[in-house]
Amino acid sequence: MSEPTARTRALHWGRRVLPLLLLCVLPFYLDAFWLRIGLFSLAAAIGAVGLGLLTGTAGQLSLGHAFFLAVGAYGYVWLAGEPGPGLPPVLALVLAVLLAGAAGGLFSPVAGRVRGIYLGVATLALVFLGHHVLLTADSVTGGFNGRSVPPLPGFTDSDPQLVLLGVPFGAAERLWYLGLALFALTWFTACGLLRGRPGRALTALRDSETAASVMGVHVARYRSTAFVVSSMYAGLAGVLLALAFRRVVPDYFALALSVDYLAMIVIGGLGSVAGATAGAVFVTALPLLMTRYADQLPLVAAPGAADGVVGPTEAARYLYGAAIVLVLLYTPDGLRGLTRRLRTRRRLERPPATATSSREPTPAVRPKEHTP
Amino acid sequence: MSTSAPRPQATEPPELRVQEVTVRFAGLTALDDVSFTVSPGSVHALIGPNGAGKSTCFNVLSGLCRPASGTVRLGDAELTRLAPHRIAALGVARTFQNIVTTEGTVADNLMLGRHVHSRAGFAASALRLPRAVREQREHLAKAREIAELTGLERHFDTPVALLSYGDRKRVEFARALCLEPSVLLLDEPVAGMNAAERARTAETVRDVRAELGLSVVLVEHDMGLVMRLADEVTVLDFGRRIAHGTPDEVRGDPEVLRAYLGTETPQEDVA
Amino acid sequence: MTGLLDNLLSGLALGSVYALVALGFVVIFKASGVLNFAHGSLLLLGGYLIAVLHDDLGFAGALALAVVVTAAVAGALDRFLLQRGEPDPHAAHVQTIVTIGLDIVLVTDLSRRIGGDLLSLGDPWGDSVHDLGPVTVADSRLAAIVVSAVVIGAVFALFRYTAWGLSLRAAAEDLEAASLMGVRLVRVRTLAWCLAGALAALAAVFLVAFPAPGLERTTGQIALKAFPAAILGGMTSPGGALAGSVLIGLTEAFVVGYQTELHVLGEGFGDVAPYAVMVLVLLVRPTGLFGARGAARV
Repeated sequence: MSEPTARTRALHWGRRVLPLLLLCVLPFYLDAFWLRIGLFSLAAAIGAVGLGLLTGTAGQLSLGHAFFLAVGAYGYVWLAGEPGPGLPPVLALVLAVLLAGAAGGLFSPVAGRVRGIYLGVATLALVFLGHHVLLTADSVTGGFNGRSVPPLPGFTDSDPQLVLLGVPFGAAERLWYLGLALFALTWFTACGLLRGRPGRALTALRDSETAASVMGVHVARYRSTAFVVSSMYAGLAGVLLALAFRRVVPDYFALALSVDYLAMIVIGGLGSVAGATAGAVFVTALPLLMTRYADQLPLVAAPGAADGVVGPTEAARYLYGAAIVLVLLYTPDGLRGLTRRLRTRRRLERPPATATSSREPTPAVRPKEHTP
Repeated sequence: MSTSAPRPQATEPPELRVQEVTVRFAGLTALDDVSFTVSPGSVHALIGPNGAGKSTCFNVLSGLCRPASGTVRLGDAELTRLAPHRIAALGVARTFQNIVTTEGTVADNLMLGRHVHSRAGFAASALRLPRAVREQREHLAKAREIAELTGLERHFDTPVALLSYGDRKRVEFARALCLEPSVLLLDEPVAGMNAAERARTAETVRDVRAELGLSVVLVEHDMGLVMRLADEVTVLDFGRRIAHGTPDEVRGDPEVLRAYLGTETPQEDVA
Repeated sequence: MTGLLDNLLSGLALGSVYALVALGFVVIFKASGVLNFAHGSLLLLGGYLIAVLHDDLGFAGALALAVVVTAAVAGALDRFLLQRGEPDPHAAHVQTIVTIGLDIVLVTDLSRRIGGDLLSLGDPWGDSVHDLGPVTVADSRLAAIVVSAVVIGAVFALFRYTAWGLSLRAAAEDLEAASLMGVRLVRVRTLAWCLAGALAALAAVFLVAFPAPGLERTTGQIALKAFPAAILGGMTSPGGALAGSVLIGLTEAFVVGYQTELHVLGEGFGDVAPYAVMVLVLLVRPTGLFGARGAARV
């Protein structure tokens, strides 16, 4: 938090602008397969950042993320579609995000009071009840077969035709830029939150609710606001996923999806935007890549092979289940912690280091302090 | 220790008045009809053997524990029914016996102390509105000032987890000061420190009291420190107030000697 | 009237099976502070073992072996993966998420083996029924109620009368104090996990017995319905888990039984009714019906 000098500021901006530029030129070099992986990763990253804020920063275990993704996705489909009010798609996108936030707000009587593991199971209820509603409220959700997603003009089709530097800009390229823009927005806002007053209050809440409250943090309000904000990111991710899939079905938004998101933030390291992003890319891209390259991988059968053999989807799930276990047992603060620890070590090697005690790794999920 | 931080002399803090407070836990009386008054700008020590109810008393003062009967008033405000965060906003800050710092740097922790004085909410921080950015900068300057006052300026950007035990206790102390409290509750501020660190903390407490003009309520086992710092002493035993007065009066009180010698010897000789 | 009795009986049967699972959750939670998300996969493992073994060993032999193996697997997961180093009450949250990872691996493997099949466990009740006065009851349901009652009684006796039960309760009260008093936490914990695994394997038998079609790869998910049961009971109270299970079982049976009347709630609401009940209860009592007030602060 030192005052930035001109040089550090330049470095600071360089570190942010360069990756963004790189991501911007990708469509000129990659084909649709890779862009799709990228798009799904971006969408997952947006959702994972939201869950990271809730579970990693504020310490509230949530298994209900799939529900809020569903609210965003179905909210957009209904608001922009027919049956539904048929609003302009951009407006529907914004409203769907707000709707997801409102759904999080409706849950706040529970989120503000129920703690720890109890909250984890309570959020489980959201997924099951939500799935039930998606299946039964046919008129809005289309029931078991779901609904097709109204296009977002200019992003989900190839009209008007656009060719840049000899590269035709189809739906994949355009959606990539939409995803990139939304992800940049997510990154910008989430970092602002985390480094600002709300982030410090939420961290304090996680590390010790007692200490936070005597420092003036309104515990119940911050707990429920964290839920609302996290749900809005989930809603945004839901809309983007709906646009990418072109069809929403209830079975996608099942418990397994919530678990996927939990896996992303755990693998990436709780409490950081970069960690959540890394985890999201890992969990999203892994099964897609394994499916694509199944024939070149040892021990993995081609997709659609007979029962009982290890297909690429299974192989991916083994890997990421094991990744959760190994990350938590061996590097409790995830990929982010690994890099941070390396950085700290480098800093400690320089003489003016003021450390007098060794750095303890920060566990991924911080225990509550006991009340004094 | 730098005392150069220029600050206007704070206005006189309000009086903290504890009246007939009783706390029961499942049939056990932790505090029994305890009363005392912390006069503005004084250092008031709360002493007694382990389990005498000192920490319970702090929990009542900071709103973590609701008394069965009795009242706590700060000036005109009644604290007894308020939630902890409201009490903090009224200017009561505290430290804990076991260190409770949060993840991040010293600066992050001190900025948490600025929570009640800042306003930026979720939307303003997320969008990094100019006023949120400006506010953050102003409060960072304030936090740095307090770090200087407490001798933490060298560690300002150091992760708390890298600091020594004594320094972490100091972080908690500085964080409480960041609240700009009118009453500061210190729960065993020198426990676990070596002699040099103790002397330094004692000096800091004296300095901030003089400079910021706040009242201090002190729970401490180190009798030497209590006797040097306190203007007034209240002695608790089994949840009851058994003595009260200036350090010299309390020192000679037969009840106090009995309470201490009968159960355990204080860390430093009372005499 | 018969409808009422019918629903009551099937509710009790369901409830007693949930109780076997919920009791497992509670035992593990008391011993280690961990909410075991891998419980469903342990149940699936138990069921799968019975399904593949009963041809060779007979139902009883397969059941016995499955119970022992599942118990051993549960114990081993705890001993070798979760409990590394000193017992640490603060590690419970991390370990809870580790169990999610374990569940993913186990479920992936078992579903791969089961595939799209419906496996029979070869239980002796088959689809036979008995007439009890005005109602007809499936034998498997009667067996579920009787066996669960006996087993649960035995588990409660374990809690009350054995040194292990005493240690378990001491550990649940205060880990630190218990270890100072010489309670061998590592062993108490591992045994708790073994017991929970055994209960899960047993529960598998009744979960997939008639009128359920058989063991499929999603059977483990049914175990999740014991979550609300355990949470309703407050996680730390075996008696509470029992009450919660019966409540959940009855709710589900009655919602299914009166489906036509409850048409507004949508088809298949019975499956999610337990969760609805749980949310309502948590709104009023954030730590469950019988939960200690401090219990949520693990």
